[in-house]
Amino acid sequence: MKYTQWLLLAGAVMLIVPLSLRAADMKVIANPSVSASAVSADDLKDVFLENKDSLGGSHVDPVLEKGGPAHEAFLKVLGKSDAALQTYYRSLVFSGKGSMPKALASDAEVAAWVAKTKGAVGYVSGDASAPGTKVLEVK
Amino acid sequence: MKGFRTHLVVAALVCAASLTVHAQDFRLFNRSVQVHGSLSQGFAYSNDNNFLTMKTSDSSPAFTDGALNLSTAVTDKFHVGAQAYDRKVGQLDDFRPQLDFAYGDYRFARWFGVRAGRVKTALGLYNDTQDADFLYTWALLPQGTYPLDLRNSMIAHDGGDLYGQIPLKKAGKLNYTGYYGKRTFDDRSGYYIFSSDLGMPIDSASGRALGWDLRWTAPLKGLTLGSSWIDMTQNRVGHYNEAYFPPDTQYRAHSAPDRTAVGYADFQRNKWDFSGEYRAENYWLSILTPSFGNSVFLWNGTNESWFTTASYHATKRVTLGVYHSNYHVDSPADPTNKATNHIYDEVAAARVDLNRYWVVKAEGHFMDGYGDLYSTHGFYERSNPDGFKPRTNMLMLRTSFFF
Repeated sequence: MKYTQWLLLAGAVMLIVPLSLRAADMKVIANPSVSASAVSADDLKDVFLENKDSLGGSHVDPVLEKGGPAHEAFLKVLGKSDAALQTYYRSLVFSGKGSMPKALASDAEVAAWVAKTKGAVGYVSGDASAPGTKVLEVK
Repeated sequence: MKGFRTHLVVAALVCAASLTVHAQDFRLFNRSVQVHGSLSQGFAYSNDNNFLTMKTSDSSPAFTDGALNLSTAVTDKFHVGAQAYDRKVGQLDDFRPQLDFAYGDYRFARWFGVRAGRVKTALGLYNDTQDADFLYTWALLPQGTYPLDLRNSMIAHDGGDLYGQIPLKKAGKLNYTGYYGKRTFDDRSGYYIFSSDLGMPIDSASGRALGWDLRWTAPLKGLTLGSSWIDMTQNRVGHYNEAYFPPDTQYRAHSAPDRTAVGYADFQRNKWDFSGEYRAENYWLSILTPSFGNSVFLWNGTNESWFTTASYHATKRVTLGVYHSNYHVDSPADPTNKATNHIYDEVAAARVDLNRYWVVKAEGHFMDGYGDLYSTHGFYERSNPDGFKPRTNMLMLRTSFFF
């Protein structure tokens, strides 16, 4: 293999490994009322940044985790630090142009909230149990 | 002394609240109502000139503000919200609460929504969030562009917005807002103070605002570029309070015109945040004194302002930053005095996030010039009766709690 091919392979590994780690770190879950079964990363970002309020024709409401590994992994999808995300939501709240999504303390709380709330979309750790919810594939 | 105690109590409240109060929501008619708020206390100390109507040369804690807001989703598409705001900054405002916004917002689709009521005005990077200091590294936003004195007449309009976001596929996203409404004036704002100082107290003021804001989230990660434009009218009625005018001589003033064009940029990458904004205000006022006939005096208030900022998140809790703020007056009343045609402000700041809800900031301001008598940008005759010095150095401390 030529030097440039090795370089390309190394680049691809560097890109793919973090992505697969992210996917393993968390999964996106939704209330069964949400008709979509998959979501693009862009749409997911738009839902959580309150630019978009429907998926597959169903109204959706995002729910966050306050911290933890799933939250850290999800921040990478959003491309923001936790502080930047909080600043973003607060600027919506204090300018009268949006609201703060519900934020819960643990995977179990998020899973329970999503299971019982029509249109709720959240994320939990990849290995967390989330009965009564559906997992959305992130494309 | 009583005033000092009030500000000390506010500072203590900020500390206590940050440890005990968090965002709340409650149920009303089977809907979740969110409650958010903020409380901030500042302290300023300057070497010579007094700034923002505070006695900063003696050190002043007369810098308090706070907000409380409620919002709820009535339906999936229809949201309502309201915010009360209160402040005292020297002689600007006096703790009399004001309605900051109260809106109904119907979002038909991602690309089109309507917001009506008292709505915060989208202008430049920060106009609609200028009171929320906890969003920024700075204790004071660049005062050439976001003067605290003019906050009450720029912050909101009673009318409506059309807004939306248009995805541009690989070219990013475009947010737009178009608005029209009645301007909000307040007799405790800088306009009234400077006019009164000049012997022309304002009895009433009204006007409307018409404008737009376009904000492009570029495909380059972290880059936002934008442009705003606003056309404002103002109709002031007042009376002269000078010995050489007969008592109760009335004057009327109208904008002819007052238009501002804005361009701005923000770039966030890793631990860095850079921003910049440029404004050009074409501002003329026609002043008529009916008892002297129909002759009109045209006053030129045209000005430009710009700023650039850079901040660095040194640790999870500490952010350091610098900015340069530039304000230029085209036609100062005294062209021979070079300190009156500009205010340049070099600022170095540090912000510490003590916890998720409580920040403390310290910043040094190194100002050159003090602007025109008519500028309404921090320097007032009433708080500087012995005249102005060309340079002002000021230390600003501020602590804020928010939930």
